Amino acid sequence: MTRIRRKIPVWSITLQVVWFIIVVFPLYWMTITAFKERADVFPLPTFLPWVDFEPTLSAFRTVFGQYRSQLFNALANSAIASLVGAFVATFAGALAGYGLARFDYRQFGWKNDNMAFFFISQRMMPPVAVVFPFLLMYRYAGVLDRAWSLGIAYALFNLPLAIWITRDAFRAVPAEVEESGLVDGCTRLGVFYKISLPIAFPGLVTAFFVSIIFAWNEFLFALILTFRRSQTLPVLISGQANELGAYWWIMSALGLIGIIPMVVLGLYAQKWLVRGLSAGSVKG
Amino acid sequence: MDRQGKKRSLVPVLFVAPALLLVIVLTVIPLLSSLALSFLNWDFGNRMAPVRWAGLSHWARLFSDTHFHYVMLTTLLYFVVGIPIQFFIGLGLARSIDRARRQQNWLRIIFLIPMMLSPVVVAFVVGRVMFNEAVGPVNAVLMAGGLPTVPWLTNSIGAFVTVLIVDTWQWVPFFMLVLLAGLSALSNEVEDAARLDTTSDIQAFWRVTFPMLLPWSVTAILIRSIEMLKIADVIVVLTNGGPGIATESLTLYAYRVGVVNFDLGYAATLAFSLAIVATVVATVILAATRRLVERLT
Repeated sequence: MTRIRRKIPVWSITLQVVWFIIVVFPLYWMTITAFKERADVFPLPTFLPWVDFEPTLSAFRTVFGQYRSQLFNALANSAIASLVGAFVATFAGALAGYGLARFDYRQFGWKNDNMAFFFISQRMMPPVAVVFPFLLMYRYAGVLDRAWSLGIAYALFNLPLAIWITRDAFRAVPAEVEESGLVDGCTRLGVFYKISLPIAFPGLVTAFFVSIIFAWNEFLFALILTFRRSQTLPVLISGQANELGAYWWIMSALGLIGIIPMVVLGLYAQKWLVRGLSAGSVKG
Repeated sequence: MDRQGKKRSLVPVLFVAPALLLVIVLTVIPLLSSLALSFLNWDFGNRMAPVRWAGLSHWARLFSDTHFHYVMLTTLLYFVVGIPIQFFIGLGLARSIDRARRQQNWLRIIFLIPMMLSPVVVAFVVGRVMFNEAVGPVNAVLMAGGLPTVPWLTNSIGAFVTVLIVDTWQWVPFFMLVLLAGLSALSNEVEDAARLDTTSDIQAFWRVTFPMLLPWSVTAILIRSIEMLKIADVIVVLTNGGPGIATESLTLYAYRVGVVNFDLGYAATLAFSLAIVATVVATVILAATRRLVERLT
């Protein structure tokens, strides 16, 4: 068969270049701004480090000096909330993911696909529709303004994607491997724990990371369910945006500190980020 | 894998039990409570204030509350204007990258980065810094090009557009990657064959590839539409709903009514109305695509 020679059309290259600039420029701008001082920002913007301004660590010194306690508090709260949320979601999600991959629930009157859809449909619900009962529940339980209780609420957002990612991971475990375990006298739980879990473990790690990213970036629940004591990083940043809005170098430094850990996790889990978000309706 | 004729075991139920329990405690009960709250007067600021039955008064208030009408319209406009723009940019990028095998990997990764960032940071960096009216780079470029500068954040329409630009910057990669997954699942050969029969690449794409890509398009549009209807964090940082209430979304309004005015009953009503709108939008999108698929295939 003759190959059709494909020329890459001009529009295609133009679009790639333009979007590349649109994506990269703000990130570049934030990064260089974090290394600027007032004189480099006002009255005229500067563009190139070492050419039209001398990079300085003064913004980071302010952030780690004057704002130290607030920043570390917010980092700790964000870390606790994300870890708790990701752990609960991955734990419950992996068990359900295994169940949906291996068992037939028709005998209990529920088709597997319908059950999976029931879990996924959680993603469709606007968070604000459940946040006020959370506020009341947490107040009466006395757990308002706690990072761990916020984390439990995050498990709700992350459960669908954790189920989906782990279900795919368990499906990839060959059934024969499990059957040989059953023949050797392992129980179901034993097979799950000793055979399938180790093989599917990378999938669980991915689910855990993707859950952390979404919990770390979450804003509305954090805003409503925490106050000063358990303030998370996005809430701190949005608050400072109003107070320190004009101190761009400080805000940029804060922003960088907030996003770098997630970019690292995100690059590891990049293939699954989209798949988790679209929750399996698409093979990504 | 479980052979039939075996005794029914409860082990499968144990595996899904924790997840079911979580969904019931964290979603089903709160959602029903929200509905119940919408029939109550509940002053969250005053612990002594009695909780009283409000009947349908909160729901009736939706009809006379012009603030609600305004934010509902704004929220729907974000969705109606924003989603098609994001979809077509994402489609163009997906198609473009799909054929550019060599750069595909690293371009994918760079284009993916915005999705990993906190919307709050994105709103600040992409919105408030880039579009600052006095010294932001965007207006600086416009000025250098001899164009008039734009009141990006202080004018109602400008602020609305800026919110959309920020959201688009962050979420085009989602469209791009879902559609890219679709394109790689389809074979290029079908389109190339069609290319021989028709006059242009563009025609071949729209006639052959686009209909086959529909399942991926629908998924992406559905998910992003729901996300767009619940937009709030970007707006809080960018404009705080302003100027006036020009950029305020329904979620933001419900938050203010509930947490700032302590009127939990009405806040729950507003929130629940958003859940209803989201369900209607999702249903309409699915029904519309079913008809579109029937027509195209």
